[in-house]
Amino acid sequence: MNAFQIHLNGKPVSAEIAPTTLLVDFIRGEQRLTGTHVGCDTAQCGACTVLLDGEPLKSCSVLALQVQGRDVTTIENLAPSDGELHPVQQAFIECHGLQCGFCTPGMVMATVGLLAHSPDPDDAEIAAALDGNLCRCTGYVNIVAAVHRAAELIAQRAGRAESQGAPE
Amino acid sequence: MRTESLPDSAVRFGSGQNVLRIEDPALVRGHGCYTDDIELPGQLHLMFLRSPHAHARIVSIDKTEAQALPGVVAVLTGADLVEAGVLPIPARMPFKRPDGSPGQAPPRRPLAHEKVRFAGEAVAAVIAESTDAALNALDLLFVDYEDLAAVADPAQAIATGAPVIWDDAPDNIAAQMRHGSSDDAAAAFAGAAHAVSLDLVNQRLAPCSMEPRVTAAHVDAHTGRLIVAISSQMPTGVRTALLATIPGLQDDQIRVTVGDVGGGFGMKGAIHPEDIAVAYAAWSLKRPVKWCSQRLEDFISAVHGRDVRSQAELALDVNGKVLALRMKSQANIGAYSTGPGIVIQLLIGAWVGTSIYDIPVIDFELTGVLTNTTPVGAYRGAGRPEFIYIIERLMDAAARRLQIDPAELRRRNMIRPEQMPYRNAMGKVYDCGEFARMLEQGLGLADWEGFTARHAESAARGRLRGRGIATFLEWTGGDAFEETVSVTVQPDGIIELVSATQAMGQGIATSYAQLAVDVFGVPLENIRIVQGDTDRANGFGSAGSRSLFIGGPAIRQASLNTVDHAKELAAEALEAAAGDIEYRAGRFQVVGTDLQIGLFELAGRQTEGQIVSSGKTTVGGASWPNACHVCEVEIDPQTGVVEVVAYASVNDIGRVISPTIVRGQIEGGVAQGLGQALSEEMVYGEGAQLSTASLMDYAIPHADSFIHHKTEFDTSVPCTTNALGAKGVGELGTIGATPAAVLAVIDALDRIGLGQAAERLQMPLTAPKIWQVLAGRAAR
Repeated sequence: MNAFQIHLNGKPVSAEIAPTTLLVDFIRGEQRLTGTHVGCDTAQCGACTVLLDGEPLKSCSVLALQVQGRDVTTIENLAPSDGELHPVQQAFIECHGLQCGFCTPGMVMATVGLLAHSPDPDDAEIAAALDGNLCRCTGYVNIVAAVHRAAELIAQRAGRAESQGAPE
Repeated sequence: MRTESLPDSAVRFGSGQNVLRIEDPALVRGHGCYTDDIELPGQLHLMFLRSPHAHARIVSIDKTEAQALPGVVAVLTGADLVEAGVLPIPARMPFKRPDGSPGQAPPRRPLAHEKVRFAGEAVAAVIAESTDAALNALDLLFVDYEDLAAVADPAQAIATGAPVIWDDAPDNIAAQMRHGSSDDAAAAFAGAAHAVSLDLVNQRLAPCSMEPRVTAAHVDAHTGRLIVAISSQMPTGVRTALLATIPGLQDDQIRVTVGDVGGGFGMKGAIHPEDIAVAYAAWSLKRPVKWCSQRLEDFISAVHGRDVRSQAELALDVNGKVLALRMKSQANIGAYSTGPGIVIQLLIGAWVGTSIYDIPVIDFELTGVLTNTTPVGAYRGAGRPEFIYIIERLMDAAARRLQIDPAELRRRNMIRPEQMPYRNAMGKVYDCGEFARMLEQGLGLADWEGFTARHAESAARGRLRGRGIATFLEWTGGDAFEETVSVTVQPDGIIELVSATQAMGQGIATSYAQLAVDVFGVPLENIRIVQGDTDRANGFGSAGSRSLFIGGPAIRQASLNTVDHAKELAAEALEAAAGDIEYRAGRFQVVGTDLQIGLFELAGRQTEGQIVSSGKTTVGGASWPNACHVCEVEIDPQTGVVEVVAYASVNDIGRVISPTIVRGQIEGGVAQGLGQALSEEMVYGEGAQLSTASLMDYAIPHADSFIHHKTEFDTSVPCTTNALGAKGVGELGTIGATPAAVLAVIDALDRIGLGQAAERLQMPLTAPKIWQVLAGRAAR
């Protein structure tokens, strides 16, 4: 067993874990954060995507110990539990960008990562960014629409914050 | 005018309105509850040892070391289960073999016993305190196999001298069905001006729901009952199968529950053998046991779809009128017969064999063949995609031979509205449909006439462009036409409706809630739809696009009954005659007075603290949604890569309850249909080993394959067999997209003189196949 410490959803977490523990198993098993899903065993489906220091990462593709001391965000921490949804979450609902919802946490996290770098991506950029996230229900058309809508919502909220003189 | 008299909520959230799905807020927050999210105290983990051989005798299994490993609680083998009296899954084989004897297939046991018949079949189960312990124990299980010759190809399986899968079917033919008349067909072909024939393969597919199968069972400490949580479309069917297989389990001792389901697509319909092993383990050990299928396990042991080879031919008169359809098909049903698998291939698909065309004579010989492959079951469309693909391919081939425009040839053969209700050559009755009108609308939406310009524009960019039409219908409903819904109105402002149909991601709870809002006139938030609990509702479940048009009328009726019942209660409360009470938007009022009481307040005043009612409805038969789908593709002649560049569809789906959801079903379904046309294929290699058992090897569509759709609904021809007028829509997109895309590719190649070679291509139409056709032309 190894000592393991990370910042998970903004809080320091420490645990004794086996060196073979995958990050996704730590998140789902130890921490009971079940919004991060496991849809495959070859790092293809992206349902387990989380943010590692703000960048999308398939949490099945790393050992937990590989992210020692770093900052991990899961879908549960994107918006306050009962508060306003994150714009990407809101956009997925508005655009019917989900059906069964199993791939959705991963799609949302990958989208958050994309929009952080590219606030107004075109279709091709979106398709490329989501190439590692598989969906069997939607045919992706509404997911691509949701990413565009999320970009819009983020811009709107930024504009709103600016006009209210809120600090960044 | 009419809407003005309706309560506000019904106007905004009722049927026909675009609403945000009630399922979504939890799902986007990661607060869904899929079966793997269940973790019970003391839960054990079950893992399966699977056969590396496609066909072998199990000589012995040594489990001593595995059992001795710390953390291992139990190891079960097929022999253990037989000894314990666990029975095979009840077989459903309503067909005969060619010699008239009853259909045959090996009994499907939860774990293989004495013999394995496909690579990946479960031979033992390890139940351990942790997944690590279970994994390690799998390595310590020693199975002595006597390898047998295996066969994966159905043509080889029915050849003389092939390995025999099941002794009672020495020719590997599980069953065979003949439909129609071979004499009539022979006469029609003899007198025909033209005959067109094609050899067509509907390749094997993997349903591939993003959530693999999961089953978690435990025995309730207080009641002693077996509780099985499962990702399933048919909880009652699972319950029935467990009662039939687990010895001593009594009717009142089992409850099956279903949480969020991460996609089903038919695969999660019938019970899988693994589910029985999990349930039995929990039942016998009296501890919670969970099994999460890994993606690899789903690929090799969850049921596959399609896998039919057909020799099909059309007889036509001089004007292109179809005189007869003749077909011989071999369906590869795998190593065992799942109930749905053989019924789909030998019967259900044939029901739409003649599609929307007035074809008087058929001659179908459909054979179910046993092979050493994963069993085939239901996959979205289930029989209809196969047969519609065949008839649409034949129609286009005939148009090419006769040099008639493919739209015109279809038009000449379509059943006319005045022929409704129409009994097809299989004896199935279509209640309504205006097929020629769908075609004209589809061609208009797709700008069929403007194709020449688009083709030229593509050519200017060095691309080959083609277009394909599919005009078709499908049978929906699963032939299970009754549903019951129970309702409770609770004082906290919730109206709860319980249905035995099952959500699997399609958004049925939202559609049901909209139907309830129509009646109750309350906001959507007041409605709660409950599904997935056999203690509360039992029925067929969800399959065959049946939920809305069969379950929906029961929701409406139960809601109406509730309002009627509550009206009587309100009359008592308000000391008025029930006939003088008016209900509107959650309130009862005595007409002409200001005496009133709220629905929820009334519920609180009842001695039981709630108002209870229910409704049962039976629809009059299947619904027959139909459509015209038009696909345009571009091919890069340098690489053979196909790109879908335009997709237009007009869909006759009767009355629409949730437009957003319907559009999502059709367009998402189209993506799956395009997957079959262009990229997906389960491939068996040497020794009947599956070589496409990962998402790296099995090519489901990725995000870069998304397309901009033009999707329209035609709601002017309501279904006459149900009170809503709705038709099933879950599978329409999948059925139409496959032929539309393939025909577009063939058209593109035909335009450069390669039509004949293109017609011989089999799906999926991958770049290498197309490149070879193009290269063959270059070499010539």
